[in-house]
Amino acid sequence: MNNNILRAEHLSKTVSTSDHELTILDDVSFELNRGQSLAIVGPSGAGKSTLLGLLAGLDTPSKGKVWLGDSELTAMDEEGRAAVRAKMVGFVFQTFQLLSSLTALENVSLPMELAGDKHALDRANKYLLRVGLAERVNHYPKQLSGGEQQRVAIARAFACQPKILFADEPTGNLDQKTGLKVCDLLFELNEQSDATLVLVTHEQRLASRCDHMITIDDGKLVESSLTNSQQ
Amino acid sequence: MRTYLNRHLQVLFAAIGTFARTPFASLATILIIAITLVLPSILYITLKSGQQIAEGWQGRPQISIFIDTELGAQEAKLIFAELSLHPAIETAEFLTPQQALEEFTALSGMSYELDFLGENPLPASIVAMPDQENSESDSLQALKTELEKIEGIESIRLDLEWTDKFNSLLNTAERTTYLLFALLSAALFLIVGNTIKLLIMNRRDEIEVTKLVGGSNAFVRRPFLYYGFLFGVCGGVCALVLLYFSAIYISPALENLATLYQKETLVYQLNWHELLCIVAFGGALGWIAARLSVARHLRHIKPR
Repeated sequence: MNNNILRAEHLSKTVSTSDHELTILDDVSFELNRGQSLAIVGPSGAGKSTLLGLLAGLDTPSKGKVWLGDSELTAMDEEGRAAVRAKMVGFVFQTFQLLSSLTALENVSLPMELAGDKHALDRANKYLLRVGLAERVNHYPKQLSGGEQQRVAIARAFACQPKILFADEPTGNLDQKTGLKVCDLLFELNEQSDATLVLVTHEQRLASRCDHMITIDDGKLVESSLTNSQQ
Repeated sequence: MRTYLNRHLQVLFAAIGTFARTPFASLATILIIAITLVLPSILYITLKSGQQIAEGWQGRPQISIFIDTELGAQEAKLIFAELSLHPAIETAEFLTPQQALEEFTALSGMSYELDFLGENPLPASIVAMPDQENSESDSLQALKTELEKIEGIESIRLDLEWTDKFNSLLNTAERTTYLLFALLSAALFLIVGNTIKLLIMNRRDEIEVTKLVGGSNAFVRRPFLYYGFLFGVCGGVCALVLLYFSAIYISPALENLATLYQKETLVYQLNWHELLCIVAFGGALGWIAARLSVARHLRHIKPR
């Protein structure tokens, strides 16, 4: 049985500007097994977030293919990719990406409701309890601190029991202490749910907690290694 | 199925809620749509009223036949009897010189001048209505030539030219109405499309997040379709209110005119079917405009 959850084959992304073509990502290939965690590191502007967007089906590559489970994302239209995301992907972003018009509870239940889950509210409540926000379920994002908003985003990501979780600089907007707590929570829930984690970060401390690490520089995959935790 | 309906109801109420949160902006858009619907509706009513008047003449011109003034009343009535039996004439009405004078006095208001003449200068006349087969210009001319040969008939006048002009005017009005209707529909289309575009831009972040967590295009575009539909329906209902007040304002003048033409009313009354059509047309156009606007602008918003 194929144990791959994520496979990228010769991924490239170029964008056209007025006078030339700009290569953001150049021929990136790798595979990731179920239940593992991967850190994507590299300097700012190296193409890490672009790679994450391609892997999650948020964007389409100029060349190459992406498989998420058995689904070839690059062969699907936007509607098909949205369906795959709803079924098996969770996201945690630096900017939290919560809907300001919805309460914490509604934000967490939204992806489950989109997937037609009848117990969405119950499960949303349960996950908000797990991230320590039981008292804040009916608060709107603007009534929550940055750390609390990120915990709501984490609850949202895990509540729909994703097969794979994509996190893009999840502690980037938080102070060091709050960032550490959020990180602990992220890894703890990931371990409990047995989901695969793909984490974009420039923090070495955070990357070192993952099973694998790849380094992107100037759009190219320059290094792929096991992290300390596996050595 | 129940879940599907519940979702639609949620979106509908959310759309109504958005209207309530931005009452002035929403009302302004609704009023613009209403005015856009009222203008062709007023033209339509005018056109229908004109057609109603034309139907009063059964769409056929009258033939005015003037009897020789030398002829006595008995001989004139014999000519009337002969014409009444003519196969090409459907109805005929005899007017004595006295009746003709009374009618002329009433319509012209020249009683003093006519009194000054001393005697009635008007001849006895017959107002005849040809049957449908003989209402065309060529047939009427042939009928006129035939009737002119009857002894005792002084002259014959066809009001063909006047009805032709009126029908031509109605035809022009009909085309103008349809043209205005098409142009204002296009305007309504652009108004709703642009309003939906602004709503999409205002909710860009929300759309990006919804798409990110797996919201399908159908899910994302649904509220905007409801906005377009509601804008159109509310605009249609407002248009009916505006039409009602327009009718109240205009009706005294029209009643006056109707009295002069010895008719009960000249204004065409829109029936329930037509009233519903205005509202349904607003709703349908709003929905289609929203659908196109959403298809165009949502395409550029990617999940992130």
